[in-house]
Amino acid sequence: MSMKKIVLFVIIISSSFVSHTFAFSGQDVQRGAFGDDVIELQARLQYLSFYHGKIDGKFGYGTYWALRNFQEQYGLPVDGIAGRSTKEKLENNSDFDKAWVHKQINAGNSFTYYGGVALENQVKKGGNGGKSSNSTTSMQLPPGYTEQDLQILANAVYGEARGEPYEGQVAVAAVILNRLESPEFPDTISEIIFQPLAFTAVADGQIWLTPNERAKQAVLDAINGWDPSENALYYFNPVTATSNWIWSRPQIKQIGEHIFCL
Amino acid sequence: MKKFAYLLGLFVVILAFVSFDLFTQNKDLERAVYATQSRDLSAATEKLSTLHTAVEQSLLFQDEKALNNELDSIWRLSSDLRKTVANLPIQAEVQNEWMRYLGKIGDNAKQAAATGDYENWRGKMGTVASNLHAFAEEWNIATVAFYENDGDLKKWSTNHTTDLKDSPFMNVSKQLKTYNETDFPLTASESDYEKKRELQHLKDKKITKSEAIKNFKKFFPNIDDSIVTVTKSSDNAPYPFYHIQFIHGSKIGYADITENGGHLLSFLLERPVKKDALSHEEILNTAKSFMNKVGYTDVKLSETRENHEAWHLVFTRVHGDDEALIYPDSIQVKIAKDNAEILGVNAMEYIQEEKIKEQGEVPIDWDKFFADHVGVEQVQKIYTGNGNLELRKCYEVIARLDNKTQDTYRIVIDTETHEVIKNEKVF
Repeated sequence: MSMKKIVLFVIIISSSFVSHTFAFSGQDVQRGAFGDDVIELQARLQYLSFYHGKIDGKFGYGTYWALRNFQEQYGLPVDGIAGRSTKEKLENNSDFDKAWVHKQINAGNSFTYYGGVALENQVKKGGNGGKSSNSTTSMQLPPGYTEQDLQILANAVYGEARGEPYEGQVAVAAVILNRLESPEFPDTISEIIFQPLAFTAVADGQIWLTPNERAKQAVLDAINGWDPSENALYYFNPVTATSNWIWSRPQIKQIGEHIFCL
Repeated sequence: MKKFAYLLGLFVVILAFVSFDLFTQNKDLERAVYATQSRDLSAATEKLSTLHTAVEQSLLFQDEKALNNELDSIWRLSSDLRKTVANLPIQAEVQNEWMRYLGKIGDNAKQAAATGDYENWRGKMGTVASNLHAFAEEWNIATVAFYENDGDLKKWSTNHTTDLKDSPFMNVSKQLKTYNETDFPLTASESDYEKKRELQHLKDKKITKSEAIKNFKKFFPNIDDSIVTVTKSSDNAPYPFYHIQFIHGSKIGYADITENGGHLLSFLLERPVKKDALSHEEILNTAKSFMNKVGYTDVKLSETRENHEAWHLVFTRVHGDDEALIYPDSIQVKIAKDNAEILGVNAMEYIQEEKIKEQGEVPIDWDKFFADHVGVEQVQKIYTGNGNLELRKCYEVIARLDNKTQDTYRIVIDTETHEVIKNEKVF
């Protein structure tokens, strides 16, 4: 082997090593996944014009069909899972500017990542004026729930129960969701929360405080099915409650400062 | 001294201006609230009258088309009035009863239109129409108080903050309660649903507090030495259970275990989660072995969702040779991404357990059922509740539109009647 060939071999090996170190993680990526690997997958699929949805790091059906189409076109086994061979094929045929893509996501900008189009022509400033933020509000929610539902529920939980144990915070969110199922209450989360006199946090304005991650996690657990209140429709603080009616409700259990009842 | 007096005078004048401005702003705000609430009250009265008329008019027709038009209006009116009632400044208990009553009228109208059971509609609505008339009169009497407060907004606000027994809405509340019971008694399906929610089918032997702790330790051996308190549910809770709370280092959480049979209803653990992430396969294997350990062996993985700290997985009970998924009998499991520790289990629905009835199946030709530009990607059999709270066996179809964004839909179709029970876009 000549010196020239050896140098070339070393360059190829190192460049491939660098690309694997800074690209996809070693894990298979499939439907239901969430995070940086999915962002890269969506961006690379969009670069090659297979994916036309939002690059949001959520591996849903849009990403799934795009990936299957890519696998079919590139002669790979069509399983909708980004395993090692699929990821390698993607890396070899597309480009991914991680810093740029993550910057757009963090800034809340609306953007695309098509190959052959200048990046500056693929971005529109988002709601926060393109300012950088470390917000982690984006989460994968069960079908039927929106980011707005998560946000307003988290505001309500934080305003009503931020001093309560985690279980109590999940229970407060669950009570709101139980009302959604009950014929005695309005049909949307925001209508339930803003029903006159329904929640103290609305009356005293504490609902407008910015919720922390804990409150958001509590809401996420509640909308995924957890209900530590065991089907309660009301709760009250026995120290401050003034209504005789609330005391007449069948009680279920107490969590922290709140008694949960039907 | 003169200068000081001058400055003091100026300060007093500015203070007076600021106070006056604040007072005016508060008054403006009060008036705005008063105006909004008055508008909602008037709107409720008007909509109630329109609904009453529509229910009466629906009794005029034998003709299916004419009757269906009225039923559609009634459904829309009742839904609209529910929204208005939700915003009224009245006691929660009055609101709840009224919304339930309106919901029942709307549901009955929708059901009559869907099933064509007009006889049942006529049978019920004669009474409902006269009750709505009586209710409208009582409502007018009750709301007079809102308009007779001589501009005193404090008096206005006490109308909905006083106890119901001292309020003009007492009779309204009583009336609605009676109408709900007499006009819309629980159907068999609703009654079954209530029983199921109250775990009335659990006839297992009652366990003691120490047996509940033993069960907890069996389910979660890694946190068995950290129980802080065990309390029993309140005496008038719909079903009795033990509430176990624990703290173990940075881990804090609870588990609810039924008194009848010691079944795990739910478990949740909060702790800091590290950034390292195990593979999807490792997470699934841990979840599956946990399910086997606790005896949930008749289930199949039906959903997975990754988030920042944990995976949320759903396991669903399967039934029959075709392994139809019984969606209402699902178990949710939450697993930490860093070390695959079980952070949560919710088995309430699984324990409630649906009763499966035999049901016919008529195959569907999907090419004829869907439009040309729709591709059927997946079909599986499932059980799910329909609008009347009846459990039905259905085809669950994942269909894809042949467009740029490849929009995907989940369509649930009754295997026997071919009624489309659900049609939703999935992401």
